[in-house]
Amino acid sequence: MELIDREDHQKLYLQLYVILKKKIENSEWPVGSQIPTEEELCKTFNVSRATVRTAVLELVRQGYLKRQQGKGTFIFRSMVSEGLTMLTNFRELFFEEGLDFDTNVLARTVMMPVDDLDSKLDIAKDKHVIYIKRLRFIDSEPVLLQESYIPYHICPLLLEEDLRQQSVFDLFEKKYGIKITRVKNYVEITYLNADESSFIGLPEASPVILLNQYFYSGETLIMYTRSIKRTDRFKFLMELERKVA
Amino acid sequence: MSDGKTVKDVMIGIFEYPHVPYWFSLSQAIRIVKVSFLSTKKYMDPMAVLVFDEKYNLMGTLTLKDILMGLEPQFLKPTGKAQVPAEDETGLSLLWDTMFDESSRELAEKPVSEVMAPAKYFVEPADPVTKAAYLMLRHDLILLPVLENKKKFVGLVRMIEVFDAISDSVLKE
Repeated sequence: MELIDREDHQKLYLQLYVILKKKIENSEWPVGSQIPTEEELCKTFNVSRATVRTAVLELVRQGYLKRQQGKGTFIFRSMVSEGLTMLTNFRELFFEEGLDFDTNVLARTVMMPVDDLDSKLDIAKDKHVIYIKRLRFIDSEPVLLQESYIPYHICPLLLEEDLRQQSVFDLFEKKYGIKITRVKNYVEITYLNADESSFIGLPEASPVILLNQYFYSGETLIMYTRSIKRTDRFKFLMELERKVA
Repeated sequence: MSDGKTVKDVMIGIFEYPHVPYWFSLSQAIRIVKVSFLSTKKYMDPMAVLVFDEKYNLMGTLTLKDILMGLEPQFLKPTGKAQVPAEDETGLSLLWDTMFDESSRELAEKPVSEVMAPAKYFVEPADPVTKAAYLMLRHDLILLPVLENKKKFVGLVRMIEVFDAISDSVLKE
């Protein structure tokens, strides 16, 4: 079994993260199974609880693991798409070029992070979160249902902004000087639940695109967005650039 | 009385308290209470959760008592106001055995809006503390929201601050 190398210059949690990730990717820990407890991992790898927590949290954030309240942490999937290097501006990541959207702000309020939202936003469970839910239309047809979660301390004034006319993105960058430096996108197919179908206007269980996005400013995670998109109205353009060494 | 103190002098920030939207379930609110107060031993007086609508307007407050009443079917019934002497039910051991049974799990899935205490009374920051005291005593309130220009929710007045302000002037020689 691969163990932590204390002579290695790499941080302990990163080493542990790599070891655990391998266990998931080579199915030593199969999808759906529960991972050992924090205590067991501490013993096995002879590291502190904080090291285990950080490594596990990163695997949760990357989508390999899923925490279930009161039950434990489980293997969610064995393969996660690697981050895409962004070339285009961020609007183009959201929308197909040239489309005009109308926006209906369904909710803009404050909540506490429930379920695994604290892990997704990398915040403590007792921190307040701004919640924004928007429905976007093209030619009066609902095409995109978007829920955004922003730690309250990142941008409290967001609660006072008109979000029908301005994107959260533009507000962050142009008004509040919060530069988005990295976005992690996870794209998958999902099926509409009853609530979503009432907004999107397609029958329940219709297939749609689910886009989970994690927005960073430097090392700080500033927003998590979950978007449901109609498959018939969206194309994805992913333009990648290989970084020159 | 209260030495000319205003609500602004005694109010506390709204982010001292957890926020939830009205569609959250009681079970979600319970988890929030545990995380925000119990597990951290942050025993505030009162322990409550603020309930908001989708436009971030305060709709009401949810105390531990409200939650427990929401979990117990018999407390969901309207209180009887019959003009007959109240029966002492505390001798019925059957009652205690059946309280908070399996049905409480189902009840925990209903939205907090069904059991919260609606926010009906407000004060402005410039109002005297005595006005806050009057409203709290008259309407048996544990928290009194403070609205700026009758719109923006900027703070909360609690009984402890009202008591402190009023009692100071009572004891003053």
